[in-house]
Amino acid sequence: MSATAATLSAPAVAVSSSASTANKALAVGVAGLVVTALGLFVSGAQPVALSYLVGLSFWTAIAIGMLMLVMIHHIVDASWSVVIRRQFEHGLAAFGWLFVLFLPLLVSVWVKPGLVWPWMDLANVVHGTVTYRDDILLSKKSAVLNREVFTVATLGFFAVWVWLSARLRRASFTQDTDGAAGWTGMNRRTSAFGIPLGALSLTFAAIFWMKSLEPHWFSTMYGVWFFSNCIRAGLAFGVFIMVWLTARGDYRGVLNKNHWHCIGTLGHAFVIFWAYVTFSQYFLIWNANIPEETFWYNLREITHAGTPSQWKWVGMLILFGHFFVPFLYLLSFRLKSTASGLLPISVWIVGIILVDLCYNILPVLKDSHGDPLPFISINLVWVAASVVGVGGVCVWAYLRSLATSGAKLIPIRDPRIAESLTYHE
Amino acid sequence: MPAQPYGLIATFDSAAAIYHAAEQVRDAGYRRWDCITPCPVHGLDGAMGVKRSLVPRISLAGGITGFCTGMSLIYWTGAINYKLTVGGKPLFSPMFAFPISYELTILFTAFATIGGMFLLNNLPMHHHPVLKYDHIARGLDDQFFVVIETADPKFDSKLTRDLLEQAGGKNIAELET
Repeated sequence: MSATAATLSAPAVAVSSSASTANKALAVGVAGLVVTALGLFVSGAQPVALSYLVGLSFWTAIAIGMLMLVMIHHIVDASWSVVIRRQFEHGLAAFGWLFVLFLPLLVSVWVKPGLVWPWMDLANVVHGTVTYRDDILLSKKSAVLNREVFTVATLGFFAVWVWLSARLRRASFTQDTDGAAGWTGMNRRTSAFGIPLGALSLTFAAIFWMKSLEPHWFSTMYGVWFFSNCIRAGLAFGVFIMVWLTARGDYRGVLNKNHWHCIGTLGHAFVIFWAYVTFSQYFLIWNANIPEETFWYNLREITHAGTPSQWKWVGMLILFGHFFVPFLYLLSFRLKSTASGLLPISVWIVGIILVDLCYNILPVLKDSHGDPLPFISINLVWVAASVVGVGGVCVWAYLRSLATSGAKLIPIRDPRIAESLTYHE
Repeated sequence: MPAQPYGLIATFDSAAAIYHAAEQVRDAGYRRWDCITPCPVHGLDGAMGVKRSLVPRISLAGGITGFCTGMSLIYWTGAINYKLTVGGKPLFSPMFAFPISYELTILFTAFATIGGMFLLNNLPMHHHPVLKYDHIARGLDDQFFVVIETADPKFDSKLTRDLLEQAGGKNIAELET
């Protein structure tokens, strides 16, 4: 323990450079948000708002992934991940800012209903036949799908995430100063009720924000699909942070091959989990062949004239890029147990998660035939601007927490820190 | 002329002692030798120069076999041997062959892993020459042993004995085959 503390009191220099990096990230983020806002004048409100929803849900997925990983760490009393957990805790600082960034969409719900979620404007026509006002399927769901419930639920999701994050962070950071093992116990209790709360909130967030874009459609796998993307995104960002902190020198000597192997193995498991869930969703709908469900995939495969659309190839990219490529890549022990092996596949996975979110959100934009607007369009610019914009703010929140929260680089007084530093299989 | 002995066995008193002895035997270039310890010694595989096992390769081969078996089973039964349209679906689609294929992937991977482990470890093995050694039971309790086989190309009854002595081995003895 004493040797540990000695090696870890060094990065005072690193802290100040984190602060200046943080300001750069914030500047990039603001620039991204400005470009997104300019998009309103180029492409109109709806495409930009939906692109912004992609960017927001992407970064929210990363933060949720980190939250769930921290809570899973505590509930199973893991030792290997103690040195990694602290960085996830810093990442949780983003939730408050994600809420602030979500506010424009919540305002749009009341100022211009139907802009993002079409069913909010009952005059909108569904499937080119009836308006939502006369739509029997929507009226049966209207007890849940209405603006009041949507708004309260969204406020509730962020309240849950911000509150859980604050509890986990406070207990962990305070332990750095007083070393009381009770904080670990408190975090375990927080996780015991936090995991079900987190699971419910992320499921309903996926349902309200993404699935309800096509309110006729339903899939019991949807929340689990979003969860698996959250965890994969959280792990990938864990790799980025570890690689960055190791390269900068802060984490020199902290991580060994076994830590990387654990991250890689967990990532591999969630590749399979994602595939299982996503395949099940497609397979059950394909097999049952019921029009209320199949239309969602038909929209993403063929045009009204029956020819394949661009979205079909996006779907293929997701099938191969989200499953086969990382699955086969991470089979290799060498690649999943080194930083240099994990970095490229993490970049790839994060990119494909973004494509997956586009696939779920953007086809709600339709042309006059009711076909989704093509994937490759100017909207990708607004998606990219939103990802950079929201991302800049999230990275800034992380770096600011890293530099100013007063927490040590790793939880040096965690009861399992010695076990974590000398972790072996 | 008596039969060639199985090998030489040397006794060590601690995990640290056998760890360093293993490094010396490894660096001397021996291939056919082993350590017997009463408990797992972390890092001993590295000190012995043991490479990663070949089992994962065998598992992969099993997995690929299982996947192909599943796909071809569904293809042959549905599209060739007994053509029957069900629910307006095509006679064959990787969609409905996939659940069978991935279950067979897992099953065959498991078989290959267990089988490969047995094969590479020469299991089942009902007897081993070290079991004849009088003090071998101490290897389950408090003592550590290094065994170097005479079948090793570098084995030389004098030089090998010297090496074990130099590495700190005690009670160096020959093992009967």
